[in-house]
Amino acid sequence: MNKTILAALTMGLFSLQAYAADTVKIALTGPFTGGSAPMGVSMRDGAKLAIDEINRAGGIQVGARKMKIEVIERDDEAKNERGALIAQELASMDDLSGVIGTVNTGVVLAGDKYFQEKGLTKIITPAAGSASMTQWSKAGVKDLSIFRFSADDGIQASMVVEEAINRRLNKVAILHDSTNYGVSGRDDLLNQIKSQGNKLQVVATEKFNIGDKDMTAQLLKAKLSGAQAILIWGIGPEMAAVSNGMAKLSMKVPLIGGWTLSMSNYIDNAGKNGNGTMMPQTFIEDPITPKARSFIDSYHKAYGVTRIPSPMSAAQGYDAVYVFAAAVKQAKSTDTHKIKDALEDLKEPVKGVIATWKHPYSKWDPANEQTHEAFRRAQAVMGMVQDGRVVFANKTDRQRLMKSAGK
Amino acid sequence: MYTLLIVQLAVSGALMGMVYALIAYGFQLTFATSKSINFGQGELVMLSALFSLTLIDTGLPYWLVVPGGMLFGVVLGLFVERAGVRLALEQKSEGWILLTIILGLLGFSAAENIWGRDDRPFPTPIPSDPVHIFGIDVTPLELSVAIGVLAVMGLVELFKRKTLLGKAFEAVSADRDAAQLMGISATRTIQLSYGLSGLVAALAGILVAPITTVGPTMASVLILKAFSVAVVAGLDSGFGVVLIGLFLGALESLTSFYLGSGWREAPGLVLLILALAVRPNGVFGKASIRKV
Amino acid sequence: MWKRLLLIRGAELAVLALLGAIPLLVDNSYVLGLLTLLAIYGILLIGLDVTVGYLGQVNLAQAAFLGLGAYAAGLGVAHFDFGMLAALAMALGVGLLFGTLLAFPALRLEGPQFALATLSFSALSATTLNEWEGLTLGAQGLQVSRPPVLGMTLDAPGFFWLCLLLLALVWLAMRNLLSSQWGRAFEALRDSPIATDAMGVGTYRHKVAGFALASALGGLAGGLYAFNFQYLQPQSFGYDLMVILLLGVVLGGRKSLWGALVGATLIALLPNLLSNRELFQAISAVGLLVAAVAGARGLLRKTTRPFQALAPIVAMGILMAGSLIVENTEDWRKAIFALMLFAVVVGLPEGLMGFAAHFLTKLFRIAPPPLPAAAALDVVLPRQAADGSALLELRDLKRYFGGVKAVDGVSLTVRAGEIHGLIGPNGSGKSTAVNVISGLYVPTGGDMLLRGKALPVGSLFKVARTGVARTFQNLQLFSDLSAVDNVMVALRGVYRTPIPLVLLGLAMGEEQRARAAALALLELVGLQAQARTRARDLTYGDQRFLEIARALARRPELLILDEPAAGLAHPDVNKLIEIIKRIHERGISIILIEHHMDVISELCSVVTVLDGGRIIAAGTADEVKRNPKVIEAYLGMTDDSAGAAAPALAG
Repeated sequence: MNKTILAALTMGLFSLQAYAADTVKIALTGPFTGGSAPMGVSMRDGAKLAIDEINRAGGIQVGARKMKIEVIERDDEAKNERGALIAQELASMDDLSGVIGTVNTGVVLAGDKYFQEKGLTKIITPAAGSASMTQWSKAGVKDLSIFRFSADDGIQASMVVEEAINRRLNKVAILHDSTNYGVSGRDDLLNQIKSQGNKLQVVATEKFNIGDKDMTAQLLKAKLSGAQAILIWGIGPEMAAVSNGMAKLSMKVPLIGGWTLSMSNYIDNAGKNGNGTMMPQTFIEDPITPKARSFIDSYHKAYGVTRIPSPMSAAQGYDAVYVFAAAVKQAKSTDTHKIKDALEDLKEPVKGVIATWKHPYSKWDPANEQTHEAFRRAQAVMGMVQDGRVVFANKTDRQRLMKSAGK
Repeated sequence: MYTLLIVQLAVSGALMGMVYALIAYGFQLTFATSKSINFGQGELVMLSALFSLTLIDTGLPYWLVVPGGMLFGVVLGLFVERAGVRLALEQKSEGWILLTIILGLLGFSAAENIWGRDDRPFPTPIPSDPVHIFGIDVTPLELSVAIGVLAVMGLVELFKRKTLLGKAFEAVSADRDAAQLMGISATRTIQLSYGLSGLVAALAGILVAPITTVGPTMASVLILKAFSVAVVAGLDSGFGVVLIGLFLGALESLTSFYLGSGWREAPGLVLLILALAVRPNGVFGKASIRKV
Repeated sequence: MWKRLLLIRGAELAVLALLGAIPLLVDNSYVLGLLTLLAIYGILLIGLDVTVGYLGQVNLAQAAFLGLGAYAAGLGVAHFDFGMLAALAMALGVGLLFGTLLAFPALRLEGPQFALATLSFSALSATTLNEWEGLTLGAQGLQVSRPPVLGMTLDAPGFFWLCLLLLALVWLAMRNLLSSQWGRAFEALRDSPIATDAMGVGTYRHKVAGFALASALGGLAGGLYAFNFQYLQPQSFGYDLMVILLLGVVLGGRKSLWGALVGATLIALLPNLLSNRELFQAISAVGLLVAAVAGARGLLRKTTRPFQALAPIVAMGILMAGSLIVENTEDWRKAIFALMLFAVVVGLPEGLMGFAAHFLTKLFRIAPPPLPAAAALDVVLPRQAADGSALLELRDLKRYFGGVKAVDGVSLTVRAGEIHGLIGPNGSGKSTAVNVISGLYVPTGGDMLLRGKALPVGSLFKVARTGVARTFQNLQLFSDLSAVDNVMVALRGVYRTPIPLVLLGLAMGEEQRARAAALALLELVGLQAQARTRARDLTYGDQRFLEIARALARRPELLILDEPAAGLAHPDVNKLIEIIKRIHERGISIILIEHHMDVISELCSVVTVLDGGRIIAAGTADEVKRNPKVIEAYLGMTDDSAGAAAPALAG
């Protein structure tokens, strides 16, 4: 018995042993198996694409020498408990430069405290739940090593509400799933409706569970209460069941919701019933710029797909790596604390597929979470589902982005 | 208008309930012969559906995909019996519970890596545009599920009653030891029941896939409900599962309308615990006299 | 004796000291996190093992109790400003309360039905935690702060030591409980609920107690879980976790505290160990080697079936091949887990600890604990007055099954000190009559009086408590318990220590007395040499005798023997007659159901003959043998030749 435990422990310790420090070690975490896997895997693969590019070019210039990036992957299975343990594991690795990832806001809330305790730099992407950053401003933390690289739900909700107001859809029903993501999305929507002047009347608020396939009850309630639009916040393919249920009940009202509506598991499964669905996007799989074209092509080639399961997650993972690499270069060190300082004051703009990132973060201010948020309203556009792809909902956005990339 | 609404809700729910019933029927088949069930049955449903999707992708016509998928289900069922059940039954242990869970886990992981983690649509020639019957919206797809479920259950029952092999099946179900004395191989019959159970699971997967979409997690919710239906109806209740399935499906749908959708499963669960407490062998199960 | 104590207790202390010392030796928050989780899972699995191992039921609610306990503790701190100990007590209490509530409807269920009832409870509790947003904040999750213990704020090592301390306390308490009458009763319940009731040990009480106890430990673990992770979400306590917990218990080994600890270690560490590819390749290579050696040995010695030997090799072979081919082991983690589990469950059905225990016992030559000297039979089974007064009276007893009148108006009197034979052809209603008397069936009509007082109806348990004991035609032994334990379960009036004292380990003296008494009874039936043999490993004849010894442990006034000679070889029949005579000498009245006419003739002073649920004859053995009605009943014809009937009756 003693032997078993000893052996297990020594093995556990063995796995923590440091390797020669001639690489920049970055951990990628997220759900790579299970229901949230499409987002986690896309994020990981997008990030690895960037890492491969950097490594093929010889690595990151750290001071006098070039260092390659070494990746550590950890699958949190979208489970808080695993996430917390992984965070503890990563936080106890002395030579780790940073962490990129996490899809589920719950996992962020369970794990990030260990990174913060240790001062390990982490870039959250693509988890969008507002609580991921507000937990630190509420606690009044003075110095924060957690950054976010995705359009938070506040931005997204404001865009969704704006869209409904602009289209003069006065009565709306809110549908959301029963996960953390769905519930906090609901709250964000309600807050935004209030802060944008209560122009929308919420006639029904309905919930669905992960795995639900029959949405008749929820939709009938919305239909009976005269909803002119459905605002939806959910994480998985259940949203396709909503679209299909709407078609079945002949409900022809617009469906507007969070960015997850751009994932293939919604688009494919809703089929033609998904046409017209709108959602905020930071990246649309449309090769409007040479950079976007090369990213999309190399992703397709590297992973043998014709379409990225979650293009936004992939693009954010990809850009996050470049932003991180720029910080390493500027810090001239693999030390995570110095990298954090560099991230808070990035001098050189970073060219990414989503945008060219100019000074994305600044010194953390507990009164203003935006200091550690890379995305602003301007980086997000409305996307729309059309015949199995996400396209720009407004042509003007497409042109604007093409122009800004051309500069 | 209001009654119509209730009926619409009940019908929509009940049609999903038919799928629970079919999977539950798969539990009954193996329970009858061996007093064991496959806790990884959901993975069988899912793997067969994914395999059928691959068949469709190769361009096979739908009427060939269905038997192809079902055959795959049979093979999987036989594999589960051989690898997970037979040894435990020989040792008269309850190891089958764990082994079938473990095989399910293996199947799940394999599916994730072979077919990807994404949910995908399952093309079908049956239209999904709603038709109005007596003021209710139903899709031909949903109706096809109901018809398919009843048809396959009817056929299996017919097989059990009319063929020699089927009679052997019934004999082993009734009294395994006596059947063995009569020269019927219990092992073979249990094998047969697992094969049939796999076939039923595969058909459930193919029927439900166009509605639920196909992916590794497609059956994880279905299977728990099917398990409830099987046990509440009684693991030897035959067509009782259909009634309970319809009831549970309709109840869920109505609950989520009246109590709020988050609570949709709660009344079913409470009823279930109560039903079991009152009738441990299920609502339609045969009450057994304790013998010593 | 001392060697045994030294080794086993020594191992426990060594592991405890080692675990406790690690935070002093290694300054690593990850190692500490894993160890804390290990301690929490240890408590959780020890609880789960009570239901899964001892009660033998697949319990799928333990994860739910973990969740309920976690939320109880978290909310206790948030709303009532509880200290840690108060919050943990509340978590434990909530587990106990809900465990007791769930135990009531789940009581009557077995196997898949029990599993489903517990599964439904889990789903229900998850739904409630998720939907009751006003209290739990629902899916948004609950942030929990770690309150001080007795005014002290705990850092990470401090909290780990608290968890370890609680694990040690739980370990001690459970060891005391499970090695007492309670533990035996749990196991008895699993092997034969009917016999447990018939031996006056309430299945009801014990099942509720066992389940409530398991749930309480789940709740306690939940409280620790809440203060460890400090963030709770309802979805964490779902089916996924439950399956892992179940696998942990089985992998580690059921019915063993060590097994629970090993299981906890595995489920806490394994997922994290698999992240490293080289390590994983090494593990799978070792696994393949072990499976191959063990399989080959099993095959050569013919101790295992080919499948049992080969399947683990195939599984580990696939794992080995996979570890070389697959680049990203993270993607295949579930499959890897499944293959390893498969190999263990097939290859080592008793779990890792069950396997290791055999091995270690041999290695260190640990002898089983010595048995005390047998008590004096006069103390264990005092002589009773055989005064011929009416002991049991049946008046017009009836029991119908639908239209079948199995017992149809039977009236008879059994007098103190007599051996009353009950005979009749198959289906004549003998067994049904006995089942009605002993409380298995409710009578359709009629009265039953024991010493003039009405006998309880329809409850094996209540009848057993009045001083009626029985054996079963189809053996109902507690097959996984040893012979002496089988008898000890049934002992009457020995176990008086209340449960809190049992938990503290203060029932030792009582245990020794009980064991001595049980040995005296085993001696009476000639099984003293097999006292430690598991009941299922006894010969068929010895199993019959063991049932009699077990029934005698009830110190009955009336002993009902239901076809004790059925299937016995001739020498054993003679031995049986000797045993019954010895019992009779002690003044115990006996109802003897038998087909062997020579046994009846030799033993019974009075014989009652049943046919078609009615009495057709009564008298001495010789009288009834000559009775034409009896002959007709047995032979199905009217023949006045008694000589022709006798051999038939003897068969």
